[in-house]
Amino acid sequence: MSEPFEPKIVAFVCTYCTYAGADLAGTSRLKYPSNVRIVRLPCTGRISPMFILKALQKGADGVLVSGCHPGDCHFDHGNYHARRRWTVFNSLLQFAGVPEERVRFSWISAAEGRKFAELISEITEDIRRIGPFEQYHALIAETGSPAPL
Amino acid sequence: MSLQEHYRSQARELLAAGAVKMVVGYAEGTTPERRRPVFITEPEECSRLVLDARCRTNLAGYLLREGLLSDGREIAVYLSTEGVRTINILAAESQLSSAQVRILGFEIDRDEVKAMEGKRAADFSEAILAHKERRKKQAPDELAAKLEAMNAAERFTFWQGEFSRCIKCYACRQACPMCWCRRCVVDNNQPQWVNTSSHTLGNLEWNLVRAFHLAGRCVECGNCGRACPVDIPLHLLNRKMTGEVLEAFDHYPGMDEHQEPALASFRKDDPETFIL
Amino acid sequence: MATLLYLESLSDCFASWRKEGLTVLAPVGEGALSGFREVERAEEANFDLLITRTTLKELFFPRTEPMLGYRIGKREIETEEFMPPVEGRIIFGARACDSAAMAIDDALFDWDYHDEYWFRRRESSVVFTIACREPDEFCMCTSLGLSPDSAKGSDVLLRPLEAGNGWQVEPVTDRGHKALSSIEQHLREGSGATAAPAEVPVKFDLEACRSWLANKENFESPFWREISERCIGCGSCTYLCPTCHCFDIQDEGDTYQGIRRKNWDSCSFQLFTMHTSGHNPRATQGARWRQRIMHKFNYYGGKFDVDSCTGCGRCTRECPVDMGVTETLQTIAAKQKQSERT
Repeated sequence: MSEPFEPKIVAFVCTYCTYAGADLAGTSRLKYPSNVRIVRLPCTGRISPMFILKALQKGADGVLVSGCHPGDCHFDHGNYHARRRWTVFNSLLQFAGVPEERVRFSWISAAEGRKFAELISEITEDIRRIGPFEQYHALIAETGSPAPL
Repeated sequence: MSLQEHYRSQARELLAAGAVKMVVGYAEGTTPERRRPVFITEPEECSRLVLDARCRTNLAGYLLREGLLSDGREIAVYLSTEGVRTINILAAESQLSSAQVRILGFEIDRDEVKAMEGKRAADFSEAILAHKERRKKQAPDELAAKLEAMNAAERFTFWQGEFSRCIKCYACRQACPMCWCRRCVVDNNQPQWVNTSSHTLGNLEWNLVRAFHLAGRCVECGNCGRACPVDIPLHLLNRKMTGEVLEAFDHYPGMDEHQEPALASFRKDDPETFIL
Repeated sequence: MATLLYLESLSDCFASWRKEGLTVLAPVGEGALSGFREVERAEEANFDLLITRTTLKELFFPRTEPMLGYRIGKREIETEEFMPPVEGRIIFGARACDSAAMAIDDALFDWDYHDEYWFRRRESSVVFTIACREPDEFCMCTSLGLSPDSAKGSDVLLRPLEAGNGWQVEPVTDRGHKALSSIEQHLREGSGATAAPAEVPVKFDLEACRSWLANKENFESPFWREISERCIGCGSCTYLCPTCHCFDIQDEGDTYQGIRRKNWDSCSFQLFTMHTSGHNPRATQGARWRQRIMHKFNYYGGKFDVDSCTGCGRCTRECPVDMGVTETLQTIAAKQKQSERT
């Protein structure tokens, strides 16, 4: 019997909003799937598209990038810069054939613990439905690289 | 007098008067179809300069050769509209001073080469604006339209096939006047974000990173595609990015030397339809 | 009487070899998409190609190949060595310049150590070379002392029949004899006229070039800067060169697990000689181009008594800025002649 598919999702989040929102989800005892690995960064402005590629390279089935709502950036405008980058990179990824369900972007504030829990449930279910990112995994396998621990 | 002759004599005068220290232009190549970049420093060598519809290479990148402009002297260079836009971007990105670039402007219209009047990059703003308007109306080419009509898995398969051919010779990067980083991100190994190996994964990563780094900067001169020895349709990626920044941010790269780079600026009301 | 192989029985030959467990590779595709790939039937191959865009060397020295994998656990370190599988291959339809390049590189890969990756593939491959009938303007094998029907590096040489319906077969090595014995039933004895090999004009005097390059005074000549001023420093000439063989060892992975790979590298790249300190002994493109020429036509000969070029012409054919070995050596030969006169 093969084990049921559990999506591996990497979330790159800013520490001031989405990370705090995730924290609130936890302290509020809200349930959400344990498929997401959170990587905390100072600001969405610090989240390079390279991180997304790295996550995919290491076998992620999905990636979430999330930070403060526009206007709420701790550094005033880091998320405005991030938004432009996402617009361009999102379009590039889709043009390259990465399904849009695989890489998601969101604004989640420190007060939105519920939104965080719901979004994680939603994207986990989306990815569970479409299955492992086999096309990308095939490229990783071709490199002969050992599977991640 | 043909444009070729006209620019030859201009080049000769500029060099003879000491107004410029070098003319970067085109000369005949190994075969009758080929043109090659040439660097002229003596007035009597100007007869080697050629200008016709085969002169497609964007020469602007040569101006960034280490130390070339550091003496403050001027250089004359043959540039089409894309080339002039390149100068504007490079100036906006603090890579050169446009005052040091004396332009010999031309435009290729089908098989004909036409003069573009002006000496400095700023003199070409009307032509650039016309290009922007034309670009807005430009329909995607056949292959791009075919790709857009595919589903994600089919598109992935298409690019997988294309990138599997990439030999990582970096001709695309080296031929690109926008790729001026002293050390390319792919050549950094602390951390090594993308694989340097030329397996399909590494090739895919490399080409995506390059396309992203050119978003809002690419002038669509075609240097990368012409340089690629295995004919990967790189222009599709770059055109897609150009279309995206034009549509989303009304940004057309290289309008003037004060234009802020698309990805180093923002507007509070930038569109964000895809953000959850 | 000679041994003939007709095009119409080639698919049967492929089938015979495949039945023995051999993989058959042949030139396929057009233009930039052309290269050597596995084929089942003769129709898949493109024998009209003058030369494939990518070279034969990829089959022996791939762009990237894993050497070892590592995984560091709490108690032990696991390593796994990767070696290319020893699978028999028939490479059918190489060109003389590409095949000769393999023989040239044998010396390098068996010099200070025996490169298993190279030789495992070499020893399990049989190269059938087809003599060229028509050169293009970039071909220059004859300038390097080779010819369109040179058998160097080949196991079997095939000369096209005048009628274009097959080849005259000349075994060169024992491996070639053995491969032919598997298809004996498809070979015919006959006396079909063979087409004259391509006439490739000699483009430069190699001896004169060697003399100029050997003269230490020329090492610092401004010529190197002048000839390479337009070079953009990409690796297309080296990666499309059948003899260029430089590689880099690269670890892909992290502290705990990963894979060590052997990747192509190019002396055209600025990073090729960059020191950790930031100092670069080959600081300019001129110095890098000089290295490439010196390596091919001076150092390599000094070590192995053969030049590291077979005159395939790909460097000039595909250069984005119209440079290449041919023009450089033509200029050098002219310089040498001039200095001999004065």
